[in-house]
Amino acid sequence: MTLAIVQSGVSRRAALGVMGVGALAWSAWPRRSRELAGVPRGRKVLHYWEKWTGAEGLALQGVIDAFNQSQEKLWVIRVPISDISSKAMVAVGGGDGPDVCGLFSYSVPLYAEAGAAMPLDSFPQEDWCGEAGYLPNVWKLLTHEGRPWAGVNTCYTLGLYVNRTHMREAGLGGTDADVPPRTIGELDAAAEKLTRTDSSGAIARAGFLPNLPLWWPYSWGVLFDGRLYDRATNTAMADDPGNIRAMEWIATFPKRFGREAAGAFAQTFSRSTHSPQDPFISGRASMIVQGPWLANFIRLHNPSLDYAVAPVPLADGLAEPSLPRGLVEADVIIIPSGCKDPEASWEFVRFMQRRTTQEQLALAHCKSSPMAEVSAEFAGAHPSRYVGVFDAIARSPRSDSLPPTRVWPQYADMLGGAFDTVWRGGDPASALRDVQVRAQRLIDQATELRGRRRAGNGKGDA
Amino acid sequence: MSIARRRAIVPWLWVAPWLLGFVLFMLIPSMMSLYYSFTDYSLLEPPVGIGLANFAELWRDPLFWKVIRNTLAYASVSVLVGTVLALLVAVLLESHVKGRGAGGVARAIIFLPTLVPLVAAALAWAFMYNPEAGLFNRVLGVMGLPRINWLGDARWAMPSLIIMGFWNIGTAMVVYSAALRDVPRSLYEAADLDGVSRLGRLWHVSIPAISPAILFNVMISIIWSLQVFGAPQIMTEGGPDHSTYVYQLYIYESAFRYGRMGYASAMAWIQLLATLGIAGLTLALSRRLVYYRGAV
Repeated sequence: MTLAIVQSGVSRRAALGVMGVGALAWSAWPRRSRELAGVPRGRKVLHYWEKWTGAEGLALQGVIDAFNQSQEKLWVIRVPISDISSKAMVAVGGGDGPDVCGLFSYSVPLYAEAGAAMPLDSFPQEDWCGEAGYLPNVWKLLTHEGRPWAGVNTCYTLGLYVNRTHMREAGLGGTDADVPPRTIGELDAAAEKLTRTDSSGAIARAGFLPNLPLWWPYSWGVLFDGRLYDRATNTAMADDPGNIRAMEWIATFPKRFGREAAGAFAQTFSRSTHSPQDPFISGRASMIVQGPWLANFIRLHNPSLDYAVAPVPLADGLAEPSLPRGLVEADVIIIPSGCKDPEASWEFVRFMQRRTTQEQLALAHCKSSPMAEVSAEFAGAHPSRYVGVFDAIARSPRSDSLPPTRVWPQYADMLGGAFDTVWRGGDPASALRDVQVRAQRLIDQATELRGRRRAGNGKGDA
Repeated sequence: MSIARRRAIVPWLWVAPWLLGFVLFMLIPSMMSLYYSFTDYSLLEPPVGIGLANFAELWRDPLFWKVIRNTLAYASVSVLVGTVLALLVAVLLESHVKGRGAGGVARAIIFLPTLVPLVAAALAWAFMYNPEAGLFNRVLGVMGLPRINWLGDARWAMPSLIIMGFWNIGTAMVVYSAALRDVPRSLYEAADLDGVSRLGRLWHVSIPAISPAILFNVMISIIWSLQVFGAPQIMTEGGPDHSTYVYQLYIYESAFRYGRMGYASAMAWIQLLATLGIAGLTLALSRRLVYYRGAV
């Protein structure tokens, strides 16, 4: 190449110059990025970060497509993001956040207190349902200190899935195997009867284990009338008597089924949740506490599985069939502060808050609707015949939502640590008292620092 | 421009890209992190100065001491056993696998795992550690031994991660192999004349002769093992019962899960100083143990 250039009489400097100019021209040539290739001319583009991928992501894309076709000003591009809480924190904090961001409801207090999300009541309110449109337990998750900071993007509670074939085989439920355990006592008795061990003492089939999966270690207290947080006094309630009773109940499992056997069984399935090897879907666990979406995975991997879903049993004396109890959680959608066109973002968020949109998304995700009113078509078209169970828990005035404190992720992890400690033989009361002290210290610290920020002591440079 | 002036400037121009990168991506962030360690900073709101409160809280934080214990346990065992293992493999290969072909193949096989991305390796190992379907428990079963809950039992989880770490001894083994080949033959001949046994040759000739390479590998291993993060994060998420919760994992979760960048920065600076201290101590101790050829 060089030889050819020299032979043709073109100097090296001239050749480099031509190449440099060519590169500059190429880089400066106006063109659209691949991402924008499908965007109609004249539309303002909004980037929407959301955690869902796979079938759940495709369902969301369907909703986004409907929005893009519903008007001619905006075009929303879905950006699937893993570990979205961390990445959104970095991006929004760095001033380069998306136009709209999907988060978990536990992020709302932090974003609200930091002013990192825009309050929804600061936008034009027409064509938005407001408080009246949402379930009260869901509205609590969207608001912080009286102001709405997020829209909902489906909600969920937990239910007890029961393998009806196993129940029948064990002679449980009498002639009606559709009656799963209603109280903790009944659950324990059923778990004993349904559990099978092999000759080595290993669990071949689990009746019920609370560490399968260990995703919601903080959720057991509510079954014993325990509370995690007092909103009025901004106080952690980790060592609430109900929570201690729940942990004492947890402590019975390693004793009844063997610490090592139960631990090994849960570990075996730690990476197979929602897959064909999922312990419940594959028939290796007779009862499991899971979210409404499990019905979708059962349809996909084992459609012939004969199962029923019921509210998670409550401690003896607390059960009241018409008023189930549980913890409500939600996926939320926020408008980050500093986004380039808040009004445009609001238009999309408002679309997402329509009852029809949330129903479309809830149908695809196999969840109950987060909205106060539900259309007749929703119940009729829902792929899970047990959606009413989750809906009743989400609507129940006896249900609670996650503690509205910015330190909840750390508080939740501490409760997970307490679960581990108790599972290994630690004392439930002292494990929870330890969490109480540490969590309250964090809450007090956060309150004090917020006060200082508000007083203007912390304007950027300490 | 004079030649002398140009000579003074040109070297700086050559190192300018690195220097710029170092200042922008290392020096400035490090200094900012030092500043944040004295603040409460969530990334989403301005930092608030809190003096030494982060350090005081760390002192009281039981999890902080737990991660220190876990990290030191991981580092000490993995450095010690990893070094011995890599050295042993290198010695065996150099002394027993004759011929360039067979030796090369053996070295390539041992080195190959280091090319596997950590995430893929960690997932594969997690599957091998599965209590029911995993390879290790199958082997134990064939031998008539009881199953072990490798990653789910607090007693076994950390040893399991350490064992997995030995998957990567290939890099150290290659360094030792190269160093062993560089040992002057005359030293071995002299040892033979003195009637030194094979073990004696290893202990009195090979190891002293390759001690600079050992020091290099030990230093690198110490630094890397104190920063262990990927395997515990992917395989155990720090559990069970925080038995594999290591220092870097706590820093990461404090910063990006709990939104406590100031607290995480304080931890990071403590780690930097501790690592420098341990590395300095290792260097100081090595003065009497490492022999540099040609040094008096």
